[in-house]
Amino acid sequence: METRRAEFWVPYRLIAPAVALEAALVIGPLLVGFWYSLHNVRFFQIRSFVGWDNYVRVVTSPEVLESLLATTIFAFFALILTFVLGFALALWLERDGRSATLMRAVVLVPYMIAMLVGSMLLKWLFSHEAGLSQLVLGPLGMGNTSILANPKSAMAALVFNAMWRDAAFAMIMLLAGLKSIPPSLHLAARVDGADAWMRFRRITLPLLRIPILITVVRLLIHFVNILTFPLILTGGGPGNATEVVVLRMFRLGFQDHILGPANALAILVFLANLLLVAMLLLLFRRAGRL
Amino acid sequence: MSASFVHAMRRKAVRLTVNAVIAVFALLPILWGFLSSLKPTDKIVEFPPRFLPEHPTLEHYTRIFADNAAYFIANSVAVSAAAVLLTLALGALAGYAIARFRFAGRDTLMVSTVAIMSIPIASLLVPTFTLLSWAGLADTRLGLVLLYAAYQLPVVVWMLYGYFLSLPVEIENAARVDGCSPTRTLFKVVLPLSKPALVAAGLFVLVFAWNDFVVAVTMTSSETARTFPVAIYFYLGFYGREWGPLLAASIVSIVPIVAIFVLLQRHFVSGLTGGGVKG
Repeated sequence: METRRAEFWVPYRLIAPAVALEAALVIGPLLVGFWYSLHNVRFFQIRSFVGWDNYVRVVTSPEVLESLLATTIFAFFALILTFVLGFALALWLERDGRSATLMRAVVLVPYMIAMLVGSMLLKWLFSHEAGLSQLVLGPLGMGNTSILANPKSAMAALVFNAMWRDAAFAMIMLLAGLKSIPPSLHLAARVDGADAWMRFRRITLPLLRIPILITVVRLLIHFVNILTFPLILTGGGPGNATEVVVLRMFRLGFQDHILGPANALAILVFLANLLLVAMLLLLFRRAGRL
Repeated sequence: MSASFVHAMRRKAVRLTVNAVIAVFALLPILWGFLSSLKPTDKIVEFPPRFLPEHPTLEHYTRIFADNAAYFIANSVAVSAAAVLLTLALGALAGYAIARFRFAGRDTLMVSTVAIMSIPIASLLVPTFTLLSWAGLADTRLGLVLLYAAYQLPVVVWMLYGYFLSLPVEIENAARVDGCSPTRTLFKVVLPLSKPALVAAGLFVLVFAWNDFVVAVTMTSSETARTFPVAIYFYLGFYGREWGPLLAASIVSIVPIVAIFVLLQRHFVSGLTGGGVKG
């Protein structure tokens, strides 16, 4: 009897440290953030309860609305281009053999290095001073255009940064899915005379539906919350053209130290994320992984 | 020359060309940064740009090390190592509980694990800083270690849980019959058998901690607690528009990651797909 009772508590003792850490540093901040978001905060001191005022201030602020637009534009193009490139890479490098293995590793390098460093290197590549952009744009009659100084091309550079780094992530996720398709299916279809496009449409795409959706949602979560790319590559500029919502939040919190609205915005972004995470959980359940 | 031979040659040429384009796309920014970091300051912004440095120099590398780079690198190493150990310890305990015990709340725990794994860190930054200053952990290396562990723990739990499930339970039962407690069984029997999963999970945490910039830049302010990526960011302001030292620091940060990656690539990939060590 004594041992049975001891056994009962064993799993709880095993998970206790992990649960405590998550509660303290993931759940805790959300509660604190929510509390702060309901108050007028000056220099980290809570002054007075203001209810939903900070939220109203945030959602009616033109800067925040502008940043939402920038986030939407960035996430839309980054998602499509990164996914398509990642998928193409996965299909191209799916085969076995030494060159495909090597190429998969090459594609992963931009993903492995720090985002900060990757964006720094691209900033140098795109910068006017480096001369590379002038060399390419010069013959097109745009020799004096500075890529990062024009709102549209700066946004394009930001999307390029996303593709350059994250296509590898999409590739790895989709490769795992491709591996789970039995080769016999392709073989049978080939015997029946189906060409490559037909096999892609009728076998690969349908069987890859869940991995595709999981990849898309995970990329979307990543892009909606992007901070390092714009912070380093464009600094949110020129003007506010590439100031995405999390960068706005970062500036409210860590540069302007307006903690009430900053926390309100953080809670709103978190709620949007919760929606995306819920979608992801449903997909995981579909895939039988949960 | 037969038609099929020409056909095969053409295929091979196409394959090589596409691979070359992919390699240039992925590696050109890094290569260009590396080559620029070897040029003397006045040659870096020369126009038209020369790809290869005429007189390669290490002056920018000497300069960042004269500006305390070694200390920041040591900070990064210490924080990353501590984060790896802490995460693996807590992750092994929790992963083992989920893999081998049926208990009330287990399903909730698994769903929360995946949910927390998916919450992006950026949305937590402002409140986390608020909380950390409260607790007196802002601007400390310990604070960073705890945060890195908290952020990577769910993935690690998931990876280890999946691996533990794949181990035969009979050996553990034998150990239990011999009077080992569950925790002792985990440390004496299960973990020695789990080296591939521990390496994969540890590597995942290591790369995250070594590369992290946003958490470190928001949670620390003094030079004492500064990690290398934050130092690179400050070099950006410190050196102004001087690209030499900046690019040198960037390359220094890349080298260990690429080295680890070349040696242990297989282990790294399994973490990305969100579990399943075999993935």
